[in-house]
Formats: sequence, structure tokens, C-alpha cells
Amino acid sequence: MTTTQQLTPLRGVKQSPLEEFFTSGHRTCQGCESALVMKLMIKAAGPRTIVLGSTGCMYVANTTYYSTPWVVPWMHTQLGSSGSAALGTAAGLKALMRKAKMKDEPINVIAFCGDGGGVDMGLSAISAALTHNDYNLLILLYDNESYANTDIQVSGSSPWGANSTFSPPGTVHRIMNKRWKKNMAGMLAAGHPQVRYIATGCASYATDMMNKVRKALSIGGPTFIHTFDPCPKGWDYDPMYSHELGMLAVQTGIWVQYEVEDGKITLNGPSRLLARGRPRLPVEKYLERQGRFAHFTKEDTAYFQQQVDDMWERWWIPGVVPPGMAEE
Amino acid sequence: MSTYAVEVVYRGIFQKRLSGNICRSIVLASRMEGKIGTAFGRYGDSPERNGIPAKYFAVVADDALELEEYLAQYEPTQVDATIVVDDTLCKGVESWAWYGLQPINALTKPGGTVIVTSYQDPEQLKEDIHVKDEPYNLAIVKGSKSFSGLWVYKDDHTDVRVLGALARVVPDMVSLESYQKAILQQWKTEAKVVSSQRSHERVHISPVEPGEGNETEPYSFEMPGWQEMEEALVIPGIAQGGGFRGGEGGFEPVRSAVFKKYSTRTMRPVVNFETCTKCTLCWLQCPDSCFDVTPDGLYDANMEACCGCGVCEDVCPVPNCITMVNEEAFVDNDSQYEHWQKNRDDYMGWLEKKIALGKSERRSHGFHHVGQYQEENAMAEVGSDD
Repeated sequence: MTTTQQLTPLRGVKQSPLEEFFTSGHRTCQGCESALVMKLMIKAAGPRTIVLGSTGCMYVANTTYYSTPWVVPWMHTQLGSSGSAALGTAAGLKALMRKAKMKDEPINVIAFCGDGGGVDMGLSAISAALTHNDYNLLILLYDNESYANTDIQVSGSSPWGANSTFSPPGTVHRIMNKRWKKNMAGMLAAGHPQVRYIATGCASYATDMMNKVRKALSIGGPTFIHTFDPCPKGWDYDPMYSHELGMLAVQTGIWVQYEVEDGKITLNGPSRLLARGRPRLPVEKYLERQGRFAHFTKEDTAYFQQQVDDMWERWWIPGVVPPGMAEE
Repeated sequence: MSTYAVEVVYRGIFQKRLSGNICRSIVLASRMEGKIGTAFGRYGDSPERNGIPAKYFAVVADDALELEEYLAQYEPTQVDATIVVDDTLCKGVESWAWYGLQPINALTKPGGTVIVTSYQDPEQLKEDIHVKDEPYNLAIVKGSKSFSGLWVYKDDHTDVRVLGALARVVPDMVSLESYQKAILQQWKTEAKVVSSQRSHERVHISPVEPGEGNETEPYSFEMPGWQEMEEALVIPGIAQGGGFRGGEGGFEPVRSAVFKKYSTRTMRPVVNFETCTKCTLCWLQCPDSCFDVTPDGLYDANMEACCGCGVCEDVCPVPNCITMVNEEAFVDNDSQYEHWQKNRDDYMGWLEKKIALGKSERRSHGFHHVGQYQEENAMAEVGSDD
């Protein structure tokens, strides 16, 4: 395994690097949390980084019409191929360095994908990339819970009951998205036990997210981070509240912040406190702020709450490992 | 033989349903009187983003052949009426990279009309709207901007009020009676018909002379030809930024030169540097990296990059340190920090004045809670019938 850049953890927001490698001039929505994820991701990774982006908002909005906000090298790749692009780039760099065609130095390789590109289409390629232990790469999944770029279609990551172009609530059938969100990071951690680092994050907790990116890049081998990004367009709320909704999702227990490092699972931040018994906020506080849940009745909210309660009370590890072995 | 075209300039997503309603109703109403029409969104706007200026068109012709002939162009180059559903768009619109700042009346044909929904008077609006070489009319439908999200529509009758005004300024395209038939057919409520009637009677129309208006030159870009582009669509990256204003200390990123994004803004943050605790949150949480870091550790929102989302106000832990103020209260994009550096007392006075002028208690963007729009509409009906 080639060496990696040793990026030191940030101790608090005041240590955030001043430099921006993803700057202004992207055509994202007002209050776009995914754009913030890009900014924090590359702020944490630093200038010696190659970023690959599969199709989605962060490709289309960021690099439309012969323009870009990226300072670091960035390349587009197809919707389902963030995994293959990351692997190919890491392997290419390694080969070029071995043949002395470029300076031998650790270069971060990050491939990002949206939930459409990652949770749905790119899952097999991500899984494949995570089995190649010889290459240092990070796959970052920015999850805004729908195909937001093409005007909000349901993805495997959309929450139960949410309004979308593919699941408009009707008078007869109110709940049109009957699927529950995939447990992406948990699934990848369970399926690729040799991967040294898998984490979930949220840009509302910026330092935590940047440190996770730093740890993923420093630890070596293929790594994976799943971020939870409130989307003012698809979730239908005032763009001002992107930050608050991220925090609410964590505090209600809907989104669980954790990392799996060398097989050891740690919940962090507020999720850790919730696991230790701090009361969770009712999910209603989160649901009532968004137009995509405006059609919910009390029963729907109660069902949603029940699912979240189950996750915290019945799962082996909340948000990570579902209910355990059958009793003998 | 006559073909009419109308454009609706709106804020992406926030007014997508509103502009769709307006253009669809025009087409439906044209059918009511035996004409034919079509409505379509501008291709380049897709995918739409919150707040970024977008356009919808409606074209009405006497028969199918005429319509077909008219549509044999990428999009209308001249329109009979430009409908502007948010008055801050009057400052000009930049919808994507390389597009430059387009005057709001760019497509309005000589003698045509710009219809604006606004509480401002014509003189105030003309400070924003760029000058034109030909005369045109300015029509004002009194009202606040109607914003809603993708799923929950704010049905405050702005759609039908615009239609009522349109029947007044372009009477030959479609008559008020036909609009009202189309309104009744779609919404099945007399209230909306009455709203269109009132707006038809009350719309304020005034002529604008050539050369009257905002005289500043809107910025534009020269697009590279295909021969200047690099192979395999290689785009030059952004240069690494450096110290604040090119000096020592602080940080100022280099920003995209070809997309400024500030025409997306309906509100802008004003910063009270005296109470700032340098907590970094506004700077760190800004999705558009619009804050320049000054050598003394303060954060100066760059008004060419800020798109006015308001996240900074929300994350700021100090009460009234960052305040979102209506964009109408401003004429330039000057640096607030430089102003404050030059003359602190003058800046504090300016700050107070702007907040008094343009801070609104209620945000107009998107969804807040179930039933809110109904509450607001009920309040509006009680409050005034204008």
C-alpha cells in the first residue's frame, strides 16, 4: 500500500483551513447543503487532491456551460461509476508513479456520487472499489434523498411517504413512496469488513464531517462516507434552514452519525448522546418543517416515529445493525 | 394574422408553479376564443434551482400553421409582454454561466409592456430596470412576491391577478372574458375570477421613454468559440486564492469570473462588525463561499457571490449580528467591511437605515408549516382588498 497524506484532525471550527478549493460561482440552489459538503470535503482534503464526480446536482450545477468553481482537478464520470472512476484513477496514479512518469507523492482521490448515483445505480461499482485494498480512495455519497437534479424523483434513499415527482400524494392513495431508506453505510460496512473506514456525516456538524474526510483519506485503502444533505428544493423548506434541518435529523434520531474504523463501530456527536439515553426530539419537529411531508396525517407521523423508535430500541446498533440473531 | 408572445420571468422553483399557471391559463384561454397557443419553459433553465432566474413563454396564434411558423426559432426574440413576478428581478437576471446580466426588458418589444408584481412605485422600479432605446410601458400589479416551494403552492391569486392585468395591456391576444372562463374551468372558484377582474381594473400603467431607467452597463461575457476550447472539454480551473484583497493575512478565494450568481438574491445579509465574535460559522456554513476572511478575522460577505440563502443569519449565534435585508433596499454590491473600515459611524448609520428599510419579519421563501399559506391568505383578505 502506498502511503497516504497524514491529515491532522481539526480541534474545533477555529482550526478550519482558510483556503477554499471549491469556490463561488456554482449554479446550485440557495442554501444547498450538498454544495457545502463539497466545500468542506475539499477544505479538509487540501490541494493535493483529485476529485471525480458522477452525474447529479454536484456535477450539473457545478460545472454547467464551460465553467467551474473547482480549484483542484475535477473530472466528471457517469452516473453509476463513481466507484470505478475512483479505482481507475487511484490505480492510474500508482502506475504513473511506479514508472516514474510523475513525482511519487501521496495524492488524495475522492469520488463523489449522489444518492441516485450511489445508493441506486452505482452500488455495485462502489462495492467493487471497496474490495480493492491496494488503492487509496474515498467515495463520498452526498445524500439529498431524491434525484434532485432532475426535479425530485424517488431514489432508494428517499424517506417513507415523501412527496416527489414519482410519489405525488393523491386523495385516494396518500402515501405513494412505501419504501424505507436504504441503510447504505451499514450495508457497506457489513459487506466489506476489510475496509478500514466507513462513516456517516452531516455538514451541519462541519468539524466532525471534515475530520471524517481527513481520517478516511489518511487511514489508507478504499473508504466510504455517507453525508446527509438537506435539500431546500426537493424537501420544500426555506433555504435558510438547511443547517437546522440537518441538526434536527440527527437530534430526532432519523439520521445516525457513526464511524466504523477497523471494524469498530462508534456513534458520534449527538447520536452518541441519544444512544446513552438523551431523549430524542419527536420526528414531528423535523417532518413539519418540510413541504414534502405536508400531506402527512397524525397516523403517518406516528408510523414514522414508530420506525425511528424501533431503530433505536430494537436494533442491535441503532442506525447501523438491524435486530440481532433469532433467540435460540 | 397575428402571433403574440409573452414571457414570465420568475425565481426558479419558488415560482415554478405560479409561472406555469400563468402560461397554461393563457393557452387555455386562447382556445376559448378559437385561437391556438402553446406554453414552454426555457430549455437552458433546466434543471431549475431555487431562486435562480428562469423563464416561461406562452405563444398565441390564430391558427396552427402560424404557430408552427413562429415556433421555428429557439425561443421568442421579442415579446408583447414581459411578466416579472418578483420585483428584485428588475435589477437584471443572470441565469447561468457566460449569460451575463440581462436587462429585464431585453425581450420586450417596442411599445410592449413590462408587468411587475410589486409594492414599489414606477419611479423606484425604473431605478432598477435598465434603459432601453425604444419606448415601452410599465404596468404594476400591486402585491408582494408570491414564493412557494415545489410541493405546497401558495395560492394567493397572484396568477389570476397577472392574467387580469395582461388582458388590459395586451387586449388583442386574449380577452378578459376568456381568461375568466379558463380560470373558472381550472380552479372552480368565483373568488379567483373576481381577483382577475379587480386587477384588470386597478393595474397601474405608465409609459417609459427611451433612455429612461438604470443607466449602468450590465456586464457581459464573450463566449469562447469552439476553436478556443480545449480538447475533450477541458475547462480551466479556478486559481488558488490568497490574502484579503491581495495583501497579507486573511483569505479571499478567487471566484468564477463567468457566473456571479447575485441576481439570484432577493435578500442580502448585512453584518454588524461591532458585535461579531469571529465564531467562523457564517463563513464555514456558507454553501457559496461568499465570505472573504479579513486580516483581523472578520467575515465580509462578497455581494457578487452571495445568493441570499440566509444560512448565515440562521447560524450566527449573536442576535442581530447578521440580518437579512430585502434586496430592494440596495443599489450596489459594495463591500460592507471596507465601508466600515473607512467610517465606522457612517457604516453603523447605514446599517441601521437598511435594516429599518428592508428587514421583514416574515420570510417569503418556501414552506414553513402546514396551513401557513391558508392563514396568510385569510389574513390578507381581512387586511386589505387591494
